[in-house]
Amino acid sequence: MTGSRQPLVHSAVDDAGSVTRRDFLRVIGSGVAVAGLGACIEPPRERILPYTARPPEITPGIATYYATTMTLGGFGTGLVVECREGRPTKVEGNQHHPASLGAAGVFEQASVLELYDPDRVRTPRQRGGVGGWDAFVSDFALTPASGGTEQGRGLHFLLEPTASPLTLSLIDRIRALHPAVGFTFYSPLAFTGAMEGARAAFGRPLQPIYDLSRAAVIVSLDADVLDAHPFCLRYARQFADGRRLRTRRDGMNRLYVVESAFTTTGGMADHRLALRAGDVADVATALLAATATPEEVRPLIPLLSRAQSEGPATSWVRAAAADLRAARGQSVVIAGAEQPAAVHAIANALNAILGSIGTTVRFIEPLLPAEAPEHALTALAAAIDARAVDKLIILGGNPSCTAPADLRFSERIRNVRSKAYLGLYHNETALDCSWVLPGLHYLESWGDARACDGTASFVQPLIRPLYDGRSVDEVLAVCGGLPTTSAHALVRELWSTQPDFQALWARSLERGVIENTASPPVSAALDWAGVLPVLAAERQRAARDSIEVTFRLDPKTLDGRFANNPWLQELPHPITKLTWGNAALLGPETAKRLGIETGDEVSIAFGGGRISIPAIVVPGHAESSITLPLGYGRSGEERVARDVGVNVYPIRTRGAPFIIPDAVVRGVKTGSSEPLATTQGHFTMEGRAIAREGTLAAYRADPRTIVPPHEIAPSLYEPVAQSGDQWAMTIDLSVCTGCSACVIACQAENNIPVVGREGVLKRREMHWLRIDRYYTGPAENPRVISQPMACQHCEKAPCEYVCPVNATVHSPDGLNEMVYNRCVGTRFCSNNCPYKVRRFNWFDYSFGVPAVLWMQRNPDVTVRERGVMEKCTYCVQRIRRAGIQAATERRALRDGEVVTACQQACPTRAITFGSLDDVDSEVSRSRRQERSYAVLGELGTEPRTRYLARIFNPSPDLTV
Amino acid sequence: MTSSPANRIDTPIVLDTDDDDAQLTDRLLAPLRSKSKVWYALLALSGAGVLLFVATSIYTFVGGIGLWGNNIPVAWAFAITDFVWWIGIGHAGTFISAFLLLLQQDWRASVNRIAEAMTLIAVFNAALFPVLHLGRPWFAYWLLPYPATMAVWPQFKSALPWDFAAILTYFTVSFLFWYTGLVPDLATVRDRAESRGRRMIYGVFALGWRGSAEHWQHYRIVYGLLAGLATPLVISVHSVVSMDFAITQLPGWHSTIFPPYFVAGALFSGFAMVLTLLLPVRRVFHLEEIVTDRHIDAIAKMLLAMSWMLIYSYVCELFIAWYTGDPYERYVFLQARPLGPWAWLYWTMIFANVLAPQLLWWRSVRLSPLALFALSLVIQFGMWMERFIIIAGSLSRDFLPASWADYRPTWVDLSLLVGSIGLFLFAFLLFLRFVPFIPIAEMKGLRREIRGAA
Repeated sequence: MTGSRQPLVHSAVDDAGSVTRRDFLRVIGSGVAVAGLGACIEPPRERILPYTARPPEITPGIATYYATTMTLGGFGTGLVVECREGRPTKVEGNQHHPASLGAAGVFEQASVLELYDPDRVRTPRQRGGVGGWDAFVSDFALTPASGGTEQGRGLHFLLEPTASPLTLSLIDRIRALHPAVGFTFYSPLAFTGAMEGARAAFGRPLQPIYDLSRAAVIVSLDADVLDAHPFCLRYARQFADGRRLRTRRDGMNRLYVVESAFTTTGGMADHRLALRAGDVADVATALLAATATPEEVRPLIPLLSRAQSEGPATSWVRAAAADLRAARGQSVVIAGAEQPAAVHAIANALNAILGSIGTTVRFIEPLLPAEAPEHALTALAAAIDARAVDKLIILGGNPSCTAPADLRFSERIRNVRSKAYLGLYHNETALDCSWVLPGLHYLESWGDARACDGTASFVQPLIRPLYDGRSVDEVLAVCGGLPTTSAHALVRELWSTQPDFQALWARSLERGVIENTASPPVSAALDWAGVLPVLAAERQRAARDSIEVTFRLDPKTLDGRFANNPWLQELPHPITKLTWGNAALLGPETAKRLGIETGDEVSIAFGGGRISIPAIVVPGHAESSITLPLGYGRSGEERVARDVGVNVYPIRTRGAPFIIPDAVVRGVKTGSSEPLATTQGHFTMEGRAIAREGTLAAYRADPRTIVPPHEIAPSLYEPVAQSGDQWAMTIDLSVCTGCSACVIACQAENNIPVVGREGVLKRREMHWLRIDRYYTGPAENPRVISQPMACQHCEKAPCEYVCPVNATVHSPDGLNEMVYNRCVGTRFCSNNCPYKVRRFNWFDYSFGVPAVLWMQRNPDVTVRERGVMEKCTYCVQRIRRAGIQAATERRALRDGEVVTACQQACPTRAITFGSLDDVDSEVSRSRRQERSYAVLGELGTEPRTRYLARIFNPSPDLTV
Repeated sequence: MTSSPANRIDTPIVLDTDDDDAQLTDRLLAPLRSKSKVWYALLALSGAGVLLFVATSIYTFVGGIGLWGNNIPVAWAFAITDFVWWIGIGHAGTFISAFLLLLQQDWRASVNRIAEAMTLIAVFNAALFPVLHLGRPWFAYWLLPYPATMAVWPQFKSALPWDFAAILTYFTVSFLFWYTGLVPDLATVRDRAESRGRRMIYGVFALGWRGSAEHWQHYRIVYGLLAGLATPLVISVHSVVSMDFAITQLPGWHSTIFPPYFVAGALFSGFAMVLTLLLPVRRVFHLEEIVTDRHIDAIAKMLLAMSWMLIYSYVCELFIAWYTGDPYERYVFLQARPLGPWAWLYWTMIFANVLAPQLLWWRSVRLSPLALFALSLVIQFGMWMERFIIIAGSLSRDFLPASWADYRPTWVDLSLLVGSIGLFLFAFLLFLRFVPFIPIAEMKGLRREIRGAA
């Protein structure tokens, strides 16, 4: 034991990624110390805390939970993180937090793996020089004593835009002390269209907050609010609540979507219009013209031309306008983040005209900088060129990769004399910098954050830093020469001005939300004077016939920041089911025009750059439009991310960061191209009633047209004896968006390994829960339907009677159990499973991974060895944990006490779980719905998982 | 004896020699003394196959089933196809010896031992695959109903323990039957041995056979009983193998016609393999007078008959698939197989198993060793395809289109198949060299019978 007082403990994990027993205990011990004692971030001395003197609230084997906040795109989402013997193992949503409402999305769920990523930066190092925080501080930091306005000239911070009160206050304090220090905010996740749209409509930048639960009609103008929005978990819940049918008489909201690429929001649309992203403005204008009375839009009349020709767009606009008018004050029009200011301005105008402001939409003061990030970065580039920056500290992000290509930012960083990068990974930016500093994962740092609506919450660590890292706030404070440098002290210092701070601190850490901190709504009055110029500017665009190219944040890696997360890499894309890579998405006609098919490549040149990327033909994608997902083809030193997919940043420029109207696109018949690792190859149901759907009108008229009555097929096999609770699940396809949060939640909960790109290509993915995705409806304008598919826990399970060794058996409480120890691996069970939900350990997937990743594993779930079958258990460990709890309290289990991992993560609460033994349980009631059915029920498997047919709510004025 | 083949076929000649007993014995023992370079060359070649098989097996044991191309949904593919193929080949031997013995078909005598040896080797080969195919092969014995201390039994509803038992029984009975028939001949080899070592070794295996009347009496009884026991096994073993598929509900597997269908297919491929082996052996060892064209013709006719049983099964399957109206079954039989991505496999199979055997209607084909040899290879290839289409093809297109996937074998899959063929030939070559492969005693009896009749 060294007695030296160092800034932070040595890493417990050596460079090879293995953990010695002693170090492991130390990490656990210190993790417990932090988690338990809360307030003590400053390590007293390094000593082992043996479990003989364990902290009072820790019982080995019993999970503890702490609230914290994960920040993404500048906004926080409140979480509750499960901690096992000092190790954070599982992330859940925080029901008190407005951005979560109890749910956690794929990024939140997968973030726990990032904590243990063996590729993380471990120690501060200077390229070709000495390392250590002291050396860095002496190189870069300002001293508070010397003061003077000139001090700090040449020092520049590049951060990601953030709403964190602490970070913003630190910046203010540094600016006050050293006005010459520069700050720039850049992130591809920051969008300013909404604020510019508000500036046009209301005269100043404002941030809209929607309340979809109060909206009967929702019109999305290329806005993926259900999956790609800082508030998407909340919006998805609100949307689902307005759609959930408990009886046939319940009402449903109606969703109109116009978009280019299929998104999860588009997949939920009652009426989806596939249109080039660049043409959305025209539709928005037409919608405004069709919705508003001439009096309401009098100043605009010269700009509004009624749609010239009859087409899908015209009828879509007409129906949407009629519904919007009919639902005054109960409707909302939402413009997409990537859309230009004009579309946002029109959305604002429509919401104002329809009386939605104050009901379904409110405005708050912007929490993030209103300046476009590309614009901000240009200014920094100019400063670098002018030799005005000689010390550049990049705090997070990855601008070398993500900055607009025409800025050549990577080169510019290298031109700065001293440059340091603080982050989790040796990414492209780290490679450009002379200093690489280990950042802190949010699960090991103190801080605060604001949700999209302004609600503040604390970031609370669950474990002592695994490596010698510092948080963004700490580095800011140290380099800015502030007296306090511990994040814990800083965050307390900032909030200690609040009345009754001690109670607030304790309460907020416990609940995960600082009460009454949401931003107050501000009044917003429509002023046509500002709208006119942006609309006029938008109309200046010449009519185009070229193929447009749009950039989208990838639903799995975003801008590339999660590219080193194997869970996310292996998560199938919600629509294309592509894993381990990206592909250009385009419609069938466009593919024909380019002479290519799925698997061929498109070559796109723009702004001096050129990329070549495999294509996937997606029916329902807008024609003459190609969607390029960002976030792949990474070239840093991260081992998982490196060279997976294609980097599309080389053609993304400042002038066209979201939509390129006129790129040079060429189809390349590659013949034997690199195969795409998709987990599903067939997207039609072949006329089989698998994912059932129907319209609300048909459901009300006669539900049997959608779901025929369930018949129990005769069976040769005796029924399994049943006793006690009878577990069952219901999945409501009406509200399942296919967002895949459940898939990652299941993976995290059940120690499910990843198989890599090669494994997926061989169709050996291990996900216990997968989401099947089918096309329905007309071929030219298809709908998509997502169907989560996991073990159905059949009462007459076909897998059970074919197992030669009794390795899969039925429990009295209705679970189809898998006995790993007994399995010899004949795979007969998989062959006889009609749902093909069983997974086989083809290789030793679980033990070959770096040891540090073992720390994430759930100790309640067996880690499976090579050669055995596995599958969904209905989270039997959670059932038994709740059962033991109930037994010690001498009571029966209550309905809702057992929550499966997938159910807990689901933003829309599409999954219901409970016991059929209780006829009043939610799951029993849901099974009595007339749209409840068993997939492949005619086989007589009597599955315990039932589905509620998807009911959608098309306008009677439009054919579906 | 130089009569033309065309003449010989008209009279049922099953032994076409003027040799006396001693000459016949010498003649039939000659291969055991031969120092044929061809034999050594073939042994070396097939030995390489054995090494390949052993190496890839060890590789699979150490690395895992992931080294193969199997996936979900196609959890069974090459190895199970190989298994069913080999076990099918292992059918003709016992059928020829036991079935035809009971039916008193004399002509079986000269070919029965080769056919039985083929059976044993093929069944042994077949039995390797299910074990190799397990995720955790070291626990293969859990399929046996042994008295475990934990009182855990196999699950008897599953067809796999039946399979395990059926194959084990079949192998045991076939081995006993083969060995019993071999005892008098082993004694002959012992008596004719030049060296002491040879005499000792064959003496041990001859079990003290002296050829006394009492020995012969016991021998006849045991041989007849074993034949009676083996005959139903010919039917049962492949019926049970077919139940591995038939008891499931997978479209393409779930079918009551499978047991007879599989037995017919097994005999079909088995007879083809008999021809594949017999024709070169006859040629190399100049045994045209012992294994006459009459034998070859009879086997060819059996092939033709079996091909029609198979055709009947194919038609039945298609008809039933259509007649049930079951969308899943219809899709597999009427769309996925004939029109799907593996349609070329299906049509190759139809060519090999349905069209090509119709050449046997022509006598000239039945009497052309070259044509028959080629046809026998085509049929075996076709039968392998058939099993592959049933097993992997059905799995790749089951109930939920979302889980459909194709399958691609790896080099390990291919090596195991090629290696198992090497293993088969290697064992067969050893058999030719160390065991009298034409039953000497029976041939002598047959000679006397024919003489007596003449």
